[in-house]
Amino acid sequence: MIRVRGLHKHYKVHERPPGLAAALRSVFRRRYKTIAAVDGIDFDIADGERVGFLGPNGAGKTTTLKVLAGLLHPTSGEVSVDGHEPRRRQDAFLKRIMLVLGQKQQLLWDLPPSETFELNRAVYDVPRVQYKETLDELTQLLQLGELVGKPTRTLSLGERMKCELAAALIHRPKVLFLDEPTIGLDVSMQATVRDFVARYNERSGATLILTSHNMDDVARLCPRVIVIDRGKLVYDGTLAELVTRIRPDKRVVLRFSRSVDAADLAALGKVVRHDAGESVLQVSKEAVNAVVSRALAHLPVSDLTVENPPLEEVMSELFARSQARRVAEAAS
Amino acid sequence: MRYLNLLGSQLRASLLLAMQYRADFLLDGLVEVLWMATAIVPLFVVFQARPTVAGWRFGEALIVMGWFTFLQGVLEGAINPSLASVVEHIRKGTLDFVLIKPADAQFLVSTARFLPWRAINVGTAMVIFAWGFRLLGRAPARRDVAVAAVTTVVAVVVLYSLWILTVSAAFYVVRIDNLSFFFNAIFDAARWPISVFRGAVRFVFTFVVPLALMTTYPAQALLGTLPATTLLAAIAGAALAFTVARVVWNASIARYTSAGG
Repeated sequence: MIRVRGLHKHYKVHERPPGLAAALRSVFRRRYKTIAAVDGIDFDIADGERVGFLGPNGAGKTTTLKVLAGLLHPTSGEVSVDGHEPRRRQDAFLKRIMLVLGQKQQLLWDLPPSETFELNRAVYDVPRVQYKETLDELTQLLQLGELVGKPTRTLSLGERMKCELAAALIHRPKVLFLDEPTIGLDVSMQATVRDFVARYNERSGATLILTSHNMDDVARLCPRVIVIDRGKLVYDGTLAELVTRIRPDKRVVLRFSRSVDAADLAALGKVVRHDAGESVLQVSKEAVNAVVSRALAHLPVSDLTVENPPLEEVMSELFARSQARRVAEAAS
Repeated sequence: MRYLNLLGSQLRASLLLAMQYRADFLLDGLVEVLWMATAIVPLFVVFQARPTVAGWRFGEALIVMGWFTFLQGVLEGAINPSLASVVEHIRKGTLDFVLIKPADAQFLVSTARFLPWRAINVGTAMVIFAWGFRLLGRAPARRDVAVAAVTTVVAVVVLYSLWILTVSAAFYVVRIDNLSFFFNAIFDAARWPISVFRGAVRFVFTFVVPLALMTTYPAQALLGTLPATTLLAAIAGAALAFTVARVVWNASIARYTSAGG
């Protein structure tokens, strides 16, 4: 479905030194430097797969996404999506894909979303019958109801995102590119958007590529993740394996019926948090069983759960490691 | 056929938008009528002092004025609003949504927005034509009207191409407000027949920013004084301008780097 080999995308940017004098100089004589936003990436994505692109800000995730969608021309490398070369932007290719950008919107601001839907119907040449079917289905799945008839500018951010999704799906695309689709949304709206995307993928078998800083999005939607840092691919595999590799430890969360001394806990494992009623221990995977039975035997435990470390922590550790590696490389 | 449908849908959205803002319509119309009235004042002043200016009688100069009014309507009603929205798209990075659509991007942005109320200019132009021909004491010949229709197409194509070139500049400099002010200021000179201008200015207004092609030639056509060779040259010029604009637009799109992210 998607095949990427040796993808590079370089930008030439104008170096702007600080200070007025330097700024004045740069008006007459500019210094440019080349930045490798994407620096040699290879991967394949199969039909119907759900993949998350992860990485810190400016890592090259969105650039890669935009190259796949045909918006940016790669500097070099080979990219094929659904048998097409995206940069050629052929109609047959564009009719198969969709793009939702959480920070930008395509809905016509002063008109109701239904007008954007209608316009997209015309642009994508969707037959009336199919259009009505799709719209009914989307209205039901996203619970759009009366939203589609209100001017877009009067909708809340979450309502707008639901309508953005509907507008982008009118032509029943086979490849979905979602860039930060839950950014700025409240927790329940985030969940609505995630559930909708997951269900759409199950129903339509569409391939999904997602970039997000929201780890809940990734955990819910993407069994496979591709981690990009400074334009390079640093991990490609399942989310579960990434977590075990970076943080093999488990978290044992204990709730007590009466307060417990911190010293008693320290004997069991590393104390991550210790409040009046709840404590969190970091324990190696092998030791989990022993720790759990000891805690149950010796402490007033009212409730106990074993969890993975939060994904946010896993990610920040991953990025911190690659940062450290770079520093070490630069020093040697 | 598909593009006609698409044009219909885009027009529909513009109409809906225009109807949402009725107050704008009234204000726009009022301002426009005032502008037209003041625009004719300099003609009055000049022609009161002398019967002809650069070989043009008052009635004939009014025909040029009529074309100017008409084209200003086209510029402000059909060309300017769409292309101004491109600049906004580029600045905000929402051009992504245009480029991702399976239709010609230039067509999509060019038809994105119309101000239907600007049709007022067409009406005003007709009144000015009628007035001019009344002063001249005759009506335009049928053949001349047909030639004028051709020159109208030529004028609109040239105007459109110039705007596409201006907008393409936005890919490189992002803020083109100044460029568009500059363009509007120059376009203002199109209310005068080209023979009013001399030397370098005349050359610029004929070949670089072909104002002659936009108002003087259509007026000459309607008056029946446009040489056939000039007509053919104008058609060729318009075709060239359109092609150049298309090539530059495509090159600009390829350079597009998108904003944010």
